[in-house]
Amino acid sequence: MIISSNKSTFKLAAAAAVLFAMIGCDTGKAPDNKPDTTTPASTSPTAPAASTASRKSSTGEGNKYTSGKILIGLVASENGDLRPWGVDCEAGAKLAVAEFNKAGGVGGKEVELRIEDSASKPEQGKSAAEKLIGDGVLAVIGEVASGITAQMGQSCFEKGIPDVAVGATKTTLTDIGNTQFRVCYTDAFQGPVMANFAFKELGLKNVALMTDKKQPYSTGLSESFKATFEKLGGKIVDEQFYETGQTDFKAQLTNLKAKSPDGIFASGYFPEVGPMARQVKEAGLTVKMLGGDGWDSSEILNTGGEAIIGQFFCNHYNNHEDRPAVKTFLDKWKAAYPNNPVPATTMGALGYDATSVVLDALKRSKSLDSKALRDAIEDTDNFAGVSGAITLKGNGGNPPKRAIVVKLTKGGQVFAKAYEPNEVVK
Amino acid sequence: MHLVPNLLAALNFSTLPEQLVNGLLLGAIYALIALGYTMVYGVLRLINFAHGEVYMLGAYVALFASYHLGFGPNSTATSSSLANLLIMLFASMSICALIGVIIERFAYRPMRGQSRIASLITAIGVSLLLQYGGALFLPNSPPPSISENVNPYRGSFVVPLSSPPPSLAIAVKQLGPEAETKNKALQDYLASHPNESEFSLSPAAQPLKDQAQDAQRKLDDAKRELANSGVNITIRNGDVIIFFTSMVLMIVLTYLVRYTKRGRAMRAVSHDFDSAALMGINVNSIITFTFVLGSALAGAGAMMQATFKGTTITTFFGLLPGVKAFVAAVLGGIGNIPGAVLGGLLMGLAETIMVWMGYSRYADAIAFVILILVLLLRPGGLLGSDKVEKV
Repeated sequence: MIISSNKSTFKLAAAAAVLFAMIGCDTGKAPDNKPDTTTPASTSPTAPAASTASRKSSTGEGNKYTSGKILIGLVASENGDLRPWGVDCEAGAKLAVAEFNKAGGVGGKEVELRIEDSASKPEQGKSAAEKLIGDGVLAVIGEVASGITAQMGQSCFEKGIPDVAVGATKTTLTDIGNTQFRVCYTDAFQGPVMANFAFKELGLKNVALMTDKKQPYSTGLSESFKATFEKLGGKIVDEQFYETGQTDFKAQLTNLKAKSPDGIFASGYFPEVGPMARQVKEAGLTVKMLGGDGWDSSEILNTGGEAIIGQFFCNHYNNHEDRPAVKTFLDKWKAAYPNNPVPATTMGALGYDATSVVLDALKRSKSLDSKALRDAIEDTDNFAGVSGAITLKGNGGNPPKRAIVVKLTKGGQVFAKAYEPNEVVK
Repeated sequence: MHLVPNLLAALNFSTLPEQLVNGLLLGAIYALIALGYTMVYGVLRLINFAHGEVYMLGAYVALFASYHLGFGPNSTATSSSLANLLIMLFASMSICALIGVIIERFAYRPMRGQSRIASLITAIGVSLLLQYGGALFLPNSPPPSISENVNPYRGSFVVPLSSPPPSLAIAVKQLGPEAETKNKALQDYLASHPNESEFSLSPAAQPLKDQAQDAQRKLDDAKRELANSGVNITIRNGDVIIFFTSMVLMIVLTYLVRYTKRGRAMRAVSHDFDSAALMGINVNSIITFTFVLGSALAGAGAMMQATFKGTTITTFFGLLPGVKAFVAAVLGGIGNIPGAVLGGLLMGLAETIMVWMGYSRYADAIAFVILILVLLLRPGGLLGSDKVEKV
């Protein structure tokens, strides 16, 4: 009966096909090959730094130091889509711990970094964090992505263990409770930074938005950019939407071209932004392109080709920045990893900073247990991190951080301008 | 009732010609992939869900071929030729054909005597296997893409439909020198002050930058006004190549199916599988032939998409185009070859028109709306037969 066919079977098959395709779409898009937000990010461009509203207090017992080395946990994406960021984060964290132990540790005791792999997956990140907590770590560090951190952070909150996220920028992440911290800026800060840069430094007046409607990260970033850019006096001439995985942007660009923008803010991730830049040039649009830290990958130079050269985006840290802290960090990195002489992504520096914040708090901690350590982390005031000063005191887990605007050149990212948290009109 | 004038006001008819061309060019790729779905369905009554994954593998083959031709991730090669593109096209088509045959031989043929739903689930299984299994072997983090340098035909050309008033061109010419002088003044200042950069100027130099930007903006605005005042169509060279290659491949396919012995046998198998076998047609070899043709077309589509549009390649590369091409095949009438081409072109147009109307947020949903409408109103598709097939 192979050739037999009737309509109802076919309809069933077609329905199954669509259903399957939709399910497929979801799993297919989920791979968060991006460092920041993988699952819902905040869409509200509220300032995070100003709020000192008290967060939920954890009622968990936490862990206590007993004997031997002091255990600190790290959850890193050693495998999966986030591997390039996970590897750098782990290397940065190891560097900080080695340095700390070399300097004598705390009270003559050394710190041991226990590392578990999240395989770039939220569920696995959660079980990795739970395993570390079971092992008796006083604090957990990680992750580079918001989706994974949200899961880990929940477990840590329940058990009363402080968690310091590395590169998770989702604005509402720290609402989990008083055990959740981070060392990076939030999405509500990047948008205003790029709006200031576009309006004041590049002199752009009419900007169009290209938003990835499937990524809450992108929609939130577009919104915060738009709010600030209009406040500064600029005009958003149009907003066009595309979706993750889209390959052809010609129809959207034809619409944009008729609105004569002088800049395009592309708030999505690099796999789409690269080809988009090529197509912007081919569509005959002479515009500046700008974006958020979703552009941060060396692959964007290949996918964007010549069209991406000379465009700007917001980042956490840059190897070429002319600051003593960056130079010292790069020297240490080179000495520790001669085969990999510079961190390939910003997560090297942020992993180092997150770990350093925990270790610094350990020195100030009143006793060697999770509760006292959490209080000490919360008290972090103007800590000199590689990626800028970190102040967690009174900031509800979200440190007001400096952001860096970088320019893409053939040789990679070049530092253009740094913005301190108080320099940005929001 | 005020909705209608609002809708009309948002429409910009000067971009409509370009959008229609965009739609046709976009549809050509859908048509190419849809042919693979429709041919396999025509012969086996099987919806080959793994077709999108064959397409994905075709993109990887093109990627590796480009590496082999010297356009690897760290290469500095900048000049390429038509020969390189043809090598990549041939590699993708032939290896995809081989993969299609392997899938048919080892996944579908053992299931041929079983119920239809078993074959369908096998197809879904193969699709998932290639998506997730492929991720273990194929580079996908960060997702690679084919270097733009392999394509010697970059850029685009403009077809003017109406010419802009000459005064605008004169304005652009007049504004040019001023912008140049102001920019040069800024560059000279920067060259003589090594401690300052474009984004960290001393307050004294700020006016210099403002003047340069103002002059440049006036020039750019005039240029944009010039570009937008007439009705014209900007077409990318890559899209033209994709369109014509697709058309040539479809003509070759039509020739093979209509005028060769194998093609006639294929049509016979499609018409009545058992009777064709009784008439002495080697059904297995015809099915293999069908998979060769369909997969080779998918390979060609993938190579062109990945090369000319710069798309990043992951193992999910075939998912979205696969779904859209499937809808295109159903729209045209699955099992019907001209129907797949028509369906593909209509899908491309429908998506582009949605964007043109200002609904880019819903452009991808149109595929599913069309699918539902087709299944409700004309289950056989536009060109398909509507009669109930015998069971």
